[in-house]
Amino acid sequence: MPLTPFSRPVFSGLAALTLAVPGAAMAQWTAGDGDSAWGMDVSLILDGIYYNELSHGNDSPAGFDDGHDHGDDGDHGFDDGFNLGHSELGFQARLGDLLDATVIIEFDDQDIQVDEAYLTTRALPGGLQLKAGKFLSDIGYINNRHPHEWDFVNRPLVNEYLFGDHGLLEKGVQATWLAPTATYTQLGVELLQGKTSGIANYEGSQSALNDQDRILRDRSGPRLVTAFAKVGPDLGPDHAAQFGLSGGYARSYQVTDEHTTRFEDWDGSAWFAGLDAVYKYSAGRAYGQGDWRLQGEYFYREIDVDRRDVNFAADGNGPEGFVRNEQSFKNRQDGIYVQGVYGFAPRWEAGLRAEALGLSNDVGRGDGESFGTSYRHTAQVTFRPVEPVFLRAQLAQNDFIDDDGHRDRGLEFMLQLNVALGAHGAHRF
Amino acid sequence: MSDRKTRTRMTRTLATLASVVLLTLLLLPSQAAAGLNIVATTSTLGVLAREIGGDETEVRVLAPPDRDAHYLDARPSFMAALRRADMLLEIGAGLEEGWLPAAQSGARNRAINSGQPGHFRAADMIELRRSITVDGPNMGHVHEEGNPHFNADPLRMAEIALALAERMGELRPEHAAMFTQRAERAAERLREQAKALAEQVEPGQRIVVYHEDLDYLEEWLPVEIVGYLEPAPGIPPTARHLRSLVSDLEGTEGTVLYAAFQPARGAEFLERHLGWPTHAVALEPPADTALDGYLELMTTWAETLPQR
Repeated sequence: MPLTPFSRPVFSGLAALTLAVPGAAMAQWTAGDGDSAWGMDVSLILDGIYYNELSHGNDSPAGFDDGHDHGDDGDHGFDDGFNLGHSELGFQARLGDLLDATVIIEFDDQDIQVDEAYLTTRALPGGLQLKAGKFLSDIGYINNRHPHEWDFVNRPLVNEYLFGDHGLLEKGVQATWLAPTATYTQLGVELLQGKTSGIANYEGSQSALNDQDRILRDRSGPRLVTAFAKVGPDLGPDHAAQFGLSGGYARSYQVTDEHTTRFEDWDGSAWFAGLDAVYKYSAGRAYGQGDWRLQGEYFYREIDVDRRDVNFAADGNGPEGFVRNEQSFKNRQDGIYVQGVYGFAPRWEAGLRAEALGLSNDVGRGDGESFGTSYRHTAQVTFRPVEPVFLRAQLAQNDFIDDDGHRDRGLEFMLQLNVALGAHGAHRF
Repeated sequence: MSDRKTRTRMTRTLATLASVVLLTLLLLPSQAAAGLNIVATTSTLGVLAREIGGDETEVRVLAPPDRDAHYLDARPSFMAALRRADMLLEIGAGLEEGWLPAAQSGARNRAINSGQPGHFRAADMIELRRSITVDGPNMGHVHEEGNPHFNADPLRMAEIALALAERMGELRPEHAAMFTQRAERAAERLREQAKALAEQVEPGQRIVVYHEDLDYLEEWLPVEIVGYLEPAPGIPPTARHLRSLVSDLEGTEGTVLYAAFQPARGAEFLERHLGWPTHAVALEPPADTALDGYLELMTTWAETLPQR
């Protein structure tokens, strides 16, 4: 994506400017409610989270440490107390009838980064559409959704631990095709650079130690290919559903881990496959009263790697450059979540989410081990005083198992305030 | 990674297979080219298309007539319908902004892109009343372009019918004359019906409505809007706002109108304290009707008011 390298400082500046003078900036950008065929739509999402850990359980689910980027920036770990959540500034513009351009800048109190920056075609024949840039993959259901579109404060475990802290977010190209059928049928493929920690972690070549080469080497992108199909039957005005099937193959999955005297290197490939389903019931009453939303996803991931450790310092086993722990192994893991949200009063909704991570949890490293399953149960209540604002209270019980098979339950409370300003984001299904 | 060769071969075979399937599906005739396949966001627009197009069109309405067209999702079935459409009719002026852009882009159909002849935006064809949303407070839906609920005005619908016939004629020149003729007839019937109904209603009616969705009744019936049940557009009625309405309107005569999908509580409060009759009305005609359905809807609106 040519936009990314040089657009960062520009957009950071823009974002900072907009934050500094929100009133002026919004007034300037949102003028004109009309057909904005040539204009730019700007939206600002502000998100704040109050977090309170009521009781501390196991930090992370067993079997999912490897390759998972543990919170230096606290993306998925909140501080006890007040947090600036996932805020974003979105720009969307149309190049006439040909292209849509979307840039979404994500920020918290420390970082500003380009979350998504992509072009989408609008004028290809035969129901085809191309997308290019940095974007959230369309695999599964929740993966391409931003936090303010979620029904719960945090990302489902399966999406976080099988893909990454931002889900499957990559640079690349996507081709999709919508069939000319009465039943919505969409097929898509994506060619992605491949660096998402959970499925296509990439390290590249590492310098030799005492003339001893490492197994890690450079592999040019694209390293990850995905494919998906989505079907949505027409069920009349009250009911709507969509079912999806997706999968992907990373021709490179590399990990390096620094131990006391050696590097542990993994080099191989990975693949995943999953199913997703969503059902929505619309009661036809005002302010969402009586509406239902049910959704669930299951993903399975297999990592197939060669391992080879190299000493970077002499130890009891040998000098610098000494090679050991040569093995080939597979990790087979999966996860699932199911959630439901019900509009129990005008502008009020309540939801429950049940999650399991590691129903299969076979990690082949060393002598190989099968870890137990971790669970999480979450309940939320959301109030929308006006449409662009929501206030959400969420209680989650983490029931994670550790490497030794011990369960320890933790309880977390979160209060989220989310406000959307500026152009309306369209309500995707 | 010894099986890399096998894998490459497998990938290649799969890719070839996928391309063949894709091409076959692409080359399949997508639909019979004869009729004009029209997708309308609301059933009022569907009525016009059906009346003008007759047998030359196939019309599908997206928003269920008994729902608020502001709040819908870009459903998969909407995109499937738009994918095969020759024409998209929308109200515009922000009514469908919450879901139509996503459905339009998800449909992957150039014919209905904004700016193409296949995209018909009714709000562009007429002059709109000012929307009270511009008076603030800004609560999300600010219709700077004007009040988008002009489907309650048969006189504006008549103008839209004529513009729509012209556009449909551009897409199907062989039927242009027929479209125009039918639109002129529809416009005439709309204007006649509006006049007839206005004459039946006792003059000088005062009404309270829920949202600004019935404001356009002022344009053709002898009525004046004297209040809204919502304290601000999109905000449900509050006790304080209802009390202030009651104190403002105490001792006067009038009628309360609201849409069947809107909560009845506010209207009931006014009925109790002011003695005003209240009526839950439909805002849109049934989804599968032609002009008669709309004329009937006009009658139900007019008949909620005291008759001469």
